[in-house]
Amino acid sequence: MYALEIRGLGKTFRGKKLRTVEALKGIDLCVEQGEVLGFLGPNGAGKSTTIKCLMGLIRPTVGSATILGRDIASAEARTSVGYLPENPAFYDYLSAEEYLLFVGRAFGMQGDLLSRRCEEVLKQLELWEPRRRLIRTYSKGMVQRVGLAQVLLHDPEVYILDEPMSGLDPIGRALVKEIVLDLKRRGKCVFFSTHITDDVEKVCDRVAVINHGELKVVDRVENILMRGTEGYAVSIAAADGSVEERVVAEAQLQGVISDAVAAGRSILKVEPRRKSMEAFFLDIVGH
Amino acid sequence: MLNIMMVTLKGIFRDRVFQGIMALAVLFLFIPSAASLSMRQVTELSVTLSLSLISFILLLLSVFLGGTSLWRDIERRYSYSVLSLPLRRSSYVLGRFLGLALFMLLTSTVLGLASCAAIAVSSTLYPAERPVVWGFLLLALVYATLKYVLLVAVALLLSTVSTSFFLPIFGTICTYLASGISQQVYEYVHSPAAAQAVSPMLKQAVTVAYYLIPNLAGFDLKLNAIYGVAPNPGGLALTAAYFLTYTAILLGASILVFNRREMK
Amino acid sequence: MSRHVATILLLAGLIGYGAVIVPFAGYMRAKPVEEKLGYVPSVKVLKSLSVDQKEVAGAALVFKVLMYYGTLMGDLPKGAIVNGPGDLPGMSRLLHAAVQLDPYNMDAYYFAQGILTWDAHQYQVANNLLDYGMKYRTWDWFLPFFAGFNSAYFLKDYKKAAHYYDLAGDLSGEPLYKSLASRYMQESGETDLAIAYLGGMVKTAKNEAVKKSYQLRLSAFQEVRRIEQARDRFRADKGSLPISVEQLVQSGYLKSVPVDPYGGSFYLGPDGKVATTSKFALGVTKK
Ligand SMILES: Nc1ncnc2c1ncn2[C@@H]1O[C@H](COP(=O)(O)OP(=O)(O)O)[C@@H](O)[C@H]1O
Ligand SMILES: [Mg+2]
Repeated sequence: MYALEIRGLGKTFRGKKLRTVEALKGIDLCVEQGEVLGFLGPNGAGKSTTIKCLMGLIRPTVGSATILGRDIASAEARTSVGYLPENPAFYDYLSAEEYLLFVGRAFGMQGDLLSRRCEEVLKQLELWEPRRRLIRTYSKGMVQRVGLAQVLLHDPEVYILDEPMSGLDPIGRALVKEIVLDLKRRGKCVFFSTHITDDVEKVCDRVAVINHGELKVVDRVENILMRGTEGYAVSIAAADGSVEERVVAEAQLQGVISDAVAAGRSILKVEPRRKSMEAFFLDIVGH
Repeated sequence: MLNIMMVTLKGIFRDRVFQGIMALAVLFLFIPSAASLSMRQVTELSVTLSLSLISFILLLLSVFLGGTSLWRDIERRYSYSVLSLPLRRSSYVLGRFLGLALFMLLTSTVLGLASCAAIAVSSTLYPAERPVVWGFLLLALVYATLKYVLLVAVALLLSTVSTSFFLPIFGTICTYLASGISQQVYEYVHSPAAAQAVSPMLKQAVTVAYYLIPNLAGFDLKLNAIYGVAPNPGGLALTAAYFLTYTAILLGASILVFNRREMK
Repeated sequence: MSRHVATILLLAGLIGYGAVIVPFAGYMRAKPVEEKLGYVPSVKVLKSLSVDQKEVAGAALVFKVLMYYGTLMGDLPKGAIVNGPGDLPGMSRLLHAAVQLDPYNMDAYYFAQGILTWDAHQYQVANNLLDYGMKYRTWDWFLPFFAGFNSAYFLKDYKKAAHYYDLAGDLSGEPLYKSLASRYMQESGETDLAIAYLGGMVKTAKNEAVKKSYQLRLSAFQEVRRIEQARDRFRADKGSLPISVEQLVQSGYLKSVPVDPYGGSFYLGPDGKVATTSKFALGVTKK
């Protein structure tokens, strides 16, 4: 069973005056349990639309999807999901602690378990001190952390995060990355959208690139990086101690190395030269 | 559902609505002295003033709380974080409604106690010819509360349809105004006196509106409370049944509409 | 699931509504008139409650009375003695409140003139109200015209009547009103005065219920005049008063049996004054 299974998902928004926007044009995507998948795409690509469909906030025009085998049309599908909306807002007349209790109860948690988990996530996200303050007094970074806390609270199997790192300072971004890596270690499935290639490169197993409502590429991160190899930088030390640096294509690499060895020179370093993820991404989205 | 209900209540209290009501309730202190202006019926006038003040406060609450509660969640994007929880939309709507209804009940209880105190003071200062019948006063309060709870359901239905707070608030006010006179207008157009003046088309339109618009005139027991006139028990039962069925329809329709609502 | 809740609520509600609405509407229709007209808090309260919408509040009160009166007139059973004109003190209270909210509201004066005089016999109250109105509606000849009629016909205060008619004449530029008072000041002219007044009222009435009530009264007075004329011819011929209306019919002075539109029958008083058992429905059969 897939953690997420999206089949032919399409969404057309009806605007004013009969104008329509085809935000999603039939997306097929499966995410394994225990997998971290980066959903990469420029602004307006359809990332949030996909995620809102999954969370039952909007109804897909065509297609279907399941979360851990449960159809997204039912509220039950959301029981094993932690969802962080894009630029989240939470009932700001509650304190972080009260909000987490509210969320926990919505997931059917009670009593000791709920209060223990609350304390854990509040401490993990450094919200323990201000936990009694109303959310309306929080900074943006703190609100984002409340969002992560409510995602982690019930320890679900699937995490759907919509641009979890946008608008955060470097410390915040590092924290999010750490959390995602921790979830990966614990075998959870994380599906997060982003438009920053660096995030994907560091934490994801696979990446799905979306543009104009269509999936362009779905592949493992290392395959993409490998595919982008343009050649190798070879450093060769001559007998007189001078170092020669050459860039050679893959086909010539073998020859260059054996030539050097035959000439009695020593090979200091062979480094693959590859296009960055960013260049790869820019290629796909056509810039 | 209970969860949403508690959050709704908490939100109302945190927004200092209750403190606002308490500030308005200070007016009850002046009722005995204001009522003494009346030469003939001090107690009656204090009952009138108390009931009118309570009705007025409940009207404001039902229009503004009922009309803005869904709208605010959507406007401030709370709906993304709340409706993505494993909650059914029906629980959300019902929870909201029950939270608001509970708050109305709480308000009318507190204000009812305050008005009882005010009335007790005026009736001891100026004993009335007809003693106050506290049971009728209680009935009048209960039915006034039911009336405004029904209005909350109207406001909720309108806010599931609309994307702004404009329609819910003004729609609810209009419903309130129309519901007060629908009975009279209906009877008038169906009286022979109006036969020539009213076209059959208009007559039909009024009839349709009469059955569509909530008939809130039946919930008004002020007269019974003020003059100690016994209300008709059968009529009271019918009115209560009317409240239940009409509210059920409003809530059912609200859920149906809200189920289809997209959180874009 | 959510759909089921909605459907159940809707169905139960609709079925219940269907069962309740007919008896409920019946109960609402059968409510005692006093309860229908409702209780209006003291004018002081109303004034402060209506803030800067006093005109609307005043108009609403008049509208309420009109609606109520319209329904009453509609209840007229054909041929039977007319029902009492409902809750007269209630209507009077509302109209007084209305003019205190908006002293310019002509509808209120117009209507008060109708019910306070013919139905409630509160002639002085009516004239006081009209005096109050004249302080505001200084241009309006209707108010002194009404007051003049009341003074002459009901109160027999011919001096006052002449004063009012003078005023009405000045305001309307209609010399007719000046002559009205002097023309009909004798007892015998009373009926003509009433007919002239009622005829004018019927012609200018815009509200159906009001027009109907004036018409009814006008036709009663026309019958009275017919009897009076026959009676006077009888006395001129025979030198004595007739004993009864029947005698006038039998002796041919009356061509047809006079019909009281209020359902009563006409008779002659000992002094020859025409009267009717219905007393022109002046509240004798009030419930
Ligand atoms: N409510 C809406 N009405 C019309 N068009 C919309 C609506 N929401 C999103 N869109 C359009 O759908 C496309 C995808 O939007 P979105 O999924 O929010 O992009 P992103 O990948 O940045 O999250 C965009 O072109 C956007 O303009
Ligand atoms: Mg987005």
